[in-house]
Amino acid sequence: MIELERVSYHYPESEPALKEVSFSVAQNEHVVLLGANGCGKTTLLRILNGLIFPQQGAYRYESEPVTPRRLRDKSWSRRFRSEVVLLFQHPEAMLFNPTVYDEIAYGLRQLGVDDLHGRVRCWADRLGVEQQLQRPPLHLSGGEKQKVCLAALLALEPQLLLLDEPTANLDPRSTGWLIDFLQDLRVTTVATTHNLSLAGELGDRVLVLSEEHELIFDGRMEDLLGDEEKLLAANLVHSHRHGSSRDKRFHVHDWS
Amino acid sequence: MTARIALLAYLAAIVLGTTVHAIGPLALGLALVLALAGREWLRILRRACVAILLFNVVITLSYGIISTLQGSFSLEFVALVNLRVLLLTCLTFLFVFRVNPFDALAFSRSLTFLFTLAYSQSMAFKQALEDFRLAFKSRRIEPVGLRDRYRHSARMGAYFLDKSLHQAGEITQAMRSRGFFDD
Repeated sequence: MIELERVSYHYPESEPALKEVSFSVAQNEHVVLLGANGCGKTTLLRILNGLIFPQQGAYRYESEPVTPRRLRDKSWSRRFRSEVVLLFQHPEAMLFNPTVYDEIAYGLRQLGVDDLHGRVRCWADRLGVEQQLQRPPLHLSGGEKQKVCLAALLALEPQLLLLDEPTANLDPRSTGWLIDFLQDLRVTTVATTHNLSLAGELGDRVLVLSEEHELIFDGRMEDLLGDEEKLLAANLVHSHRHGSSRDKRFHVHDWS
Repeated sequence: MTARIALLAYLAAIVLGTTVHAIGPLALGLALVLALAGREWLRILRRACVAILLFNVVITLSYGIISTLQGSFSLEFVALVNLRVLLLTCLTFLFVFRVNPFDALAFSRSLTFLFTLAYSQSMAFKQALEDFRLAFKSRRIEPVGLRDRYRHSARMGAYFLDKSLHQAGEITQAMRSRGFFDD
């Protein structure tokens, strides 16, 4: 479905955010992008969503290169924007319509969907925000805002759902709910997290970005957990001195 | 030391720029600032023009409408106001390009502290602004209409206002907790 080939990206006047990253994702895969803060996870998701473009390397969606030029083609851009969607880490950035209903209907109206009302109701119901449809999104809690954003994105029936630290601003109950919801979803997903203990819940395949902005692992969670050296190198665990009154020793610790 | 001298020169130039009320000296001042910018002159001029564009257009149009209705429109006044704002903005960009403000304010702990707070807040806002811009772009399937642009701008304005008020409260409490307001 998507392929990245030696993709590098650097922001103006700063260090590279990604160095020669290559991987591909097949339909219906659930992939987790794991890495410490600042390793380039958000940048990578923005490239996958066609919001920014790599200075080197190539990104292809359904074998088509995703470039500014390609996105100027209106019909292809329309298809890409409705099939590849991104849930931002801070949902506030995505909400600007007067009511939750309008927010969920925003993309559907652009696509000219016939059963707009039914589709909005259906996704509001699935995400548990059907009671909030006439409320302004800004008056909702953080977890509810996230659900509204998800409903707005999923209502488009996308092929690829990108999630940027989807659990970062949620309380434990909402985190549990979101994990269950995503596991039941029949959409290809790429989710980022810096939380090692959640990674296994968000996907079955793990990609690890190092603090040097390189892809250093691509495989199953069980294999990653057995590779202490990689976990330490990616700053996903710490050697931590556990102190009790008598016994002090170093051991690997997941801080998340 | 050099940074402190540059800060004093910058402040003096700002005072001078706001007290001169003739187009000639202001134009000369702008030429001098751009000459001092060296190879960066075009970059500084372009950034300054972009930064002041909205403000100056609103001010100029408002003045134009009211003064025309009152029969007192003066093209010289319009040129004077726009030139002054451009000069002061170019001067500020030149200062920021050439001098590290942290070095310039190093003589005062309080000023450094205040500048650090302002700087970190502006960085956070810059990131939030980029998030808003990209999120809007990400959700646009068709070319966006005026109504959606208006809604998005209004939402951004409200967000930044809320955020500023909240952060100002937090910063004040943090400063009070660290004894900043103690006499």
